[in-house]
Amino acid sequence: MSKMVAPENTPVWVNESRCKACDMCVEVCPAGVLSMRSEPSSTLGAMISIISLHACIGCNECELVCPDFAIHVADKSEYKFAKLTDEAKVRAEAIANNNYRLPENYGK
Amino acid sequence: MAFNYDNYLRLEKMPTLWCWGCGDGVILKAFIRAVDKLGWNKDDVCVVSGIGCSGRFSSYVDFNTIHTTHGRTVAFATGVKLANPDKHVVCVAGDGDALAIGGNHTIHGCRRNIDINFIVINNFIYGLTNSQTSPTTPQGMWTVSQKAGNIDPTFDACKLAIAAGATFVAREKVTEPRKLEKVFVEGFKHRGFSFFDILSNCHINLGRKNKMQSAMENLSWIDSITVSKKKYDEMTPDEQLNLLATGILKQDTEAREYCDMYEDIKAVQQGKRGLLTQDDFKKKI
Amino acid sequence: MELREIISTGNDLAAIAAVDAGCEFFGGYPITPSSEIMHTISDLLPEMGGAAIQMEDEIAGIAAAVGAAMSGVRSLTATSGPGVSLKAENLGLAQMTEVPLVLVNVMRGGPSTGLPTRVSQGDVRQARNPSHGDYRSITLCAGNLAECYTEVVRAFNLADRFMQPVIVLTDETIGHMHGKAMIPTLEEVKKGIVPRKSFDGAPEDYRPYGVGADEAAVLNPMFKGYRYHFTGLHHDAKGFPTEEIETCRKLIQRLEDKVMMHTDEIELNEEFMLDDFDGSEGEVLIVAYGSVSLAAKEAIRHLRAEGIKAGLFRPITLWPSPAKRMGELVKATKNVLCVELNIRQYTEEVERVSGRLDLEGLYKVNGRAISPYEIVNKVKEVF
Repeated sequence: MSKMVAPENTPVWVNESRCKACDMCVEVCPAGVLSMRSEPSSTLGAMISIISLHACIGCNECELVCPDFAIHVADKSEYKFAKLTDEAKVRAEAIANNNYRLPENYGK
Repeated sequence: MAFNYDNYLRLEKMPTLWCWGCGDGVILKAFIRAVDKLGWNKDDVCVVSGIGCSGRFSSYVDFNTIHTTHGRTVAFATGVKLANPDKHVVCVAGDGDALAIGGNHTIHGCRRNIDINFIVINNFIYGLTNSQTSPTTPQGMWTVSQKAGNIDPTFDACKLAIAAGATFVAREKVTEPRKLEKVFVEGFKHRGFSFFDILSNCHINLGRKNKMQSAMENLSWIDSITVSKKKYDEMTPDEQLNLLATGILKQDTEAREYCDMYEDIKAVQQGKRGLLTQDDFKKKI
Repeated sequence: MELREIISTGNDLAAIAAVDAGCEFFGGYPITPSSEIMHTISDLLPEMGGAAIQMEDEIAGIAAAVGAAMSGVRSLTATSGPGVSLKAENLGLAQMTEVPLVLVNVMRGGPSTGLPTRVSQGDVRQARNPSHGDYRSITLCAGNLAECYTEVVRAFNLADRFMQPVIVLTDETIGHMHGKAMIPTLEEVKKGIVPRKSFDGAPEDYRPYGVGADEAAVLNPMFKGYRYHFTGLHHDAKGFPTEEIETCRKLIQRLEDKVMMHTDEIELNEEFMLDDFDGSEGEVLIVAYGSVSLAAKEAIRHLRAEGIKAGLFRPITLWPSPAKRMGELVKATKNVLCVELNIRQYTEEVERVSGRLDLEGLYKVNGRAISPYEIVNKVKEVF
């Protein structure tokens, strides 16, 4: 199988130079790991961000739906992913309901 | 470790010129994973595409690739395959390409049962030329060529492929990337004409004027018009109305593949066997 | 050159020539009066290990042939005028992607369905620019049975040399003519085969379209480790789509120059009974090509017997035209008669290269061949 080396201790990582800010990965992430942020230099004014790295459950949905080869998820055999928590679910919902962006002052 | 798509991509062509959230990229990724799973050598693969957004598919993958004229992918691929029967040939075309301008080639590719894998990216619209009616545009939807609402009845691409004689016919959608990969693997393994009707989104040219302005809205609509083959088969005709079945809809492993049959022609002409007769064929008419 | 005698038809000779020239693939569709080429080659190719396929339409016929050619094999399609109309777009793709292909057009009456079973030379102008855009067609025209063989062989070698389609025009008369032809032996043909160039360096250094300003693309066969891209879009040295201004200009200029700067390798003419032409009064130069030249030669023999000093200039390569030689001859001879089975399609080219607008013409468009006597009578009438 075609493999690439994952960055150390990293469940999910992005290649911003390929991201077109379509929101798809954020939409499918069940754990509120991903969020868009404002990025004036991007065509759509937004860019993908990993906001809660260690909440990643390794479901791989974000990678599968990313049309632009911009997001990668580590192998289950090499990384011990988190369990899906209620806190993660609530965060995911808050992001989805706020135009795929983590609401300001969320959780503060 | 993680799956490395880059081994199969022409990296200098990234990012793709497809719009944000375009299903073409999801299909491209599933295609790459399927090829990887099957262990195909990159040198042994030829990808042939047509015209339209899907036409760019071939330029992004590091195989032997051909970007042909509008609608003619299967015809070009037939030449590639028949001249190189031991190689893998994959065609990619859009709904307009495969079912309108290239309809005749689609029909006859299916009929010959030549070992070509034909991925039809069906986004229900002409995307690259900006929102004209395609053979799969639902009736009543707005298109730029039918602003009053589309009156043209639609095509069921899979029914067409089945009727025309394709021996592997499957429908999947970009909202199910794992299933997408699975039907590609199954279809690519199948020796014969494999037809894939892959439902995809074009929130830009279909969605914008049809209340599906984001990829997500467009994809939800696709989910709302699809149902698994198993469920579909249990439905009454009334319930089936306006739904499309997904999954492997037909697989016939008995029908002989065209290049294999052509070996018989070679044997006849080389004096290795007598002329073919009707007795050589189980299904003659 | 060692020759062999064969009794056959023009269409069969074209099929035999293709196979002898190393053609391994045929894609086509039935059309009168060219179908016999498909009938014959569909027996010959599988015998040699190649493949012939009757496709679902004319467009698919050439598409399959181009697809096979892209994969690296010598490939043929055959048709008649209406088929060329349909194949035009994919001829354009082959021009743009620089894929060698031979197309035999057995001409019949046109336009449209025209006179399917009757002779014509109505596709001469079409052969020059069958598809849109800038490129230079290479078009050869067989004038007798033997040339149905030799011109198809030459077409395959030219296609690989210039990396583009080459059209061979024959017509219903010559395609269905049955008779004796003296053609080169198979050994002679094999000796003359020059396969297309290929690149054998490192794949990362391969630039299929990165060639000199007047050179043809170097397209390696598929499946051999050089994974590149064909596209009908304007493309860069590696074959990928581009809109970069200078790259686009250079590409199209190169399609022009790779042919027009090397016309000496393409030009082929016959000069029949022109040895004694010295520009004196009363000499009659006939310009004719294809099957019409057979009648023209017969007419010249009659005219000579009657004391009229007549001779024939016959371009065998029609496009690019033999501008220099044809221009010189036509300028040097007062009485010039162009004879064609169309209305002035090549005469206009003779006018262009000679700068003369006073040429006489004999044109016939009723589906019947021109007889030697019609030419004799025309010469006597106008000169």
